[in-house]
Amino acid sequence: MISTFISHELKAFWRSKNTGKSIAIRVVMGLLILYLLINVLLLGFFLDKLLEQLFPKADLLVSFCGVILIYFIADLFMRLQLQDLPTLRVQPYLQLPIKRNTVVGYLAFTSLLSVFNLWPFILFVPFVLKIIAADSGALVAFAFIISIAGLAVFNNYLALYIKRKANLNGWIYLIAAGIIILLGLGDFLWHFYSIRNISYLFFGQLVNHAALALLPVALGAMMFYLNFFYLKQNLYLEELGSHKASSYKSSTEYPLLNRFGNIGDLVGNEIKLILRNKRSRSALIMGLFFMLYGLMFYGKPGPAGAEGFKVFVGMFMTGIFIIQYGQFMFAWQSSHFDGLLVSKISFTDFLKGKYLLFTIVSTFYFVLTIPYVYYGWRTLMIHFIMYLWNIGINTTLVLFFANRNYKRMDLSKGAAFNWEGMSGNQWILSFPLLIAPYVIYGPLALLHHGDIGLALLAVTGIAFIFTRNFWIKKLEADYYTKRYTIAEGFRNK
Amino acid sequence: MYGGVTVVNVPQLEIKKGESVGLVGNNGAGKTTLFRMILDLIRAERGEVLSNGEPVAGHEKWKNYTASYLDEGFLIDYLTPEEYFYFIGGLHQQSRAHVDDFLAGMTDFFNGEILKKGKYIRDLSKGNQCKVGVASCVLQNPELLMLDEPFANIDPTTQFRLKSLLKDMNKNKGVTTLISSHDLNHITDVCDRILLMEKGVIIKDIATSSSTLSELEEYFGVGQTL
Repeated sequence: MISTFISHELKAFWRSKNTGKSIAIRVVMGLLILYLLINVLLLGFFLDKLLEQLFPKADLLVSFCGVILIYFIADLFMRLQLQDLPTLRVQPYLQLPIKRNTVVGYLAFTSLLSVFNLWPFILFVPFVLKIIAADSGALVAFAFIISIAGLAVFNNYLALYIKRKANLNGWIYLIAAGIIILLGLGDFLWHFYSIRNISYLFFGQLVNHAALALLPVALGAMMFYLNFFYLKQNLYLEELGSHKASSYKSSTEYPLLNRFGNIGDLVGNEIKLILRNKRSRSALIMGLFFMLYGLMFYGKPGPAGAEGFKVFVGMFMTGIFIIQYGQFMFAWQSSHFDGLLVSKISFTDFLKGKYLLFTIVSTFYFVLTIPYVYYGWRTLMIHFIMYLWNIGINTTLVLFFANRNYKRMDLSKGAAFNWEGMSGNQWILSFPLLIAPYVIYGPLALLHHGDIGLALLAVTGIAFIFTRNFWIKKLEADYYTKRYTIAEGFRNK
Repeated sequence: MYGGVTVVNVPQLEIKKGESVGLVGNNGAGKTTLFRMILDLIRAERGEVLSNGEPVAGHEKWKNYTASYLDEGFLIDYLTPEEYFYFIGGLHQQSRAHVDDFLAGMTDFFNGEILKKGKYIRDLSKGNQCKVGVASCVLQNPELLMLDEPFANIDPTTQFRLKSLLKDMNKNKGVTTLISSHDLNHITDVCDRILLMEKGVIIKDIATSSSTLSELEEYFGVGQTL
């Protein structure tokens, strides 16, 4: 059965309208992973030397044990942002004589195939073999490896569990990320406790009592079953009798948008789309999470606090919605795209509506970043420049890519199983957006003309805003060459 | 041409203003594809579709006088029916009061199932979604109305109401109607001209008369003793 699922998924991949794009993404992703792999491998081999340098006074074993837990906390944080949720279109299998456990088990097990589960081994196993196996014997070394495996599995399923939950309710994601950040701050900023000591408390004991390795394994198994049962319980296409069915859905309108006529109506509809569908609503709420990026980077010594980084963070904070939501454009409307095509809407108005929507939401996020003025007026100025950049250039870029997105997205389906939200693959698509400002700013900053770089960014942003109509014309012409492919792709369930 | 196989091959077809045309044919005969081609949703490999003498591809004028409902993909499913009607009305420069007036006239057709129910369109049943789609077409005061299997999902009462609605639009308001259906009784009742499609080709083009129904039944009932 498992092999059938795998072959079905492979077919789904190769026969999809988007295959070309997906392959390109995978190739870039593969290269990046390979590069990281080599780095981590080197790091793993020289971990003992590195630890000696970092903590010259401490015992090597003590500092190693301390690092493990820190690694896993950071790992969880990265997983939350980058790890893919395994997807399988379960609908066609549910009424067939296939055990539910098989379907769920397949989903649960394939998620172990993430590269994230490879890192801890590459990083820690060389050290374990080199130092611990030599000092304390093979059994202890084995216990270490088992515990690391247990923690990796635990993290894997915890991250997926949080992501599945967050899929239905974006606030959960915010809370989880907040807790992790607070955990980190509690140690490194406020010094309430030391994660390293806690970590040593456990791993230090492992040297004497190898059997303790069963504890992380038990934790991992527990998390696996939690996931398993959650999936199994939610293996329904739609939840009947949930509260949403009973509540009265009232009609709303946004009087402010009426000023924009037809375009305003389109934007009003799209705002309703965002607020009335779980997935798009989550994208909006998760955008709030990125408002914390400034807290994580600003005011820190070293490169993280430098101006060049503020350009990056500023663009992220004011433009996250454009990046996140814009990526799946126009697929958000794929279920009624035919309807839009035959109704009396000109594509120019349609595009103008998108620009207006992006401007509104970016403005909203920019206003939210105003408190960062605490880090100086210059910070706020950079945010404003990047805000201009976002509504000038990134909107246009995103819409250019939207003309190349042929993959249908079903918003009305139960979201727990068809989730293509935040994952590494998705971020690859935003690379061009992230790199673009540095093409202008980077060289100038290196020549110590950062101010000129910033000024140029602002001027470019404003220039794009004023030449919008020109870009709309270009996008429209581009769209007319692709509209049949887009419409056909969206009809492809 | 579609995926290497000819799906629709129509050498020439002319529909005159004010005609009511019915399209019949078995599954896969190409009815929906023909509709989509007329609505510029699929590009024809060769040839073109002219509406009022103007090609539909690359032009937008036809959208002003054409209303169509092929499937649920034409509805914006996260809106309430009211919001959807206001939106469509707004596209045709109709005020909300005008839309309200129109909706008041549709109460019979809706049978109390659509308006003020507090549901999004996606939460309605297929039949009720079809009612929303048809009503939004009528709202647009079209000169050309295209419906793909409108009788398929709706209850018998609504089927009769829809038939009289369609006849009224065609006879009294001069709307050109193009309708496909698997229900031979309904289609011969509503339409003056029947096109029979088979494997992408229009094999019969007949003006409806008293013998049309039995003629069609004979074609579809091949190999069966009636």
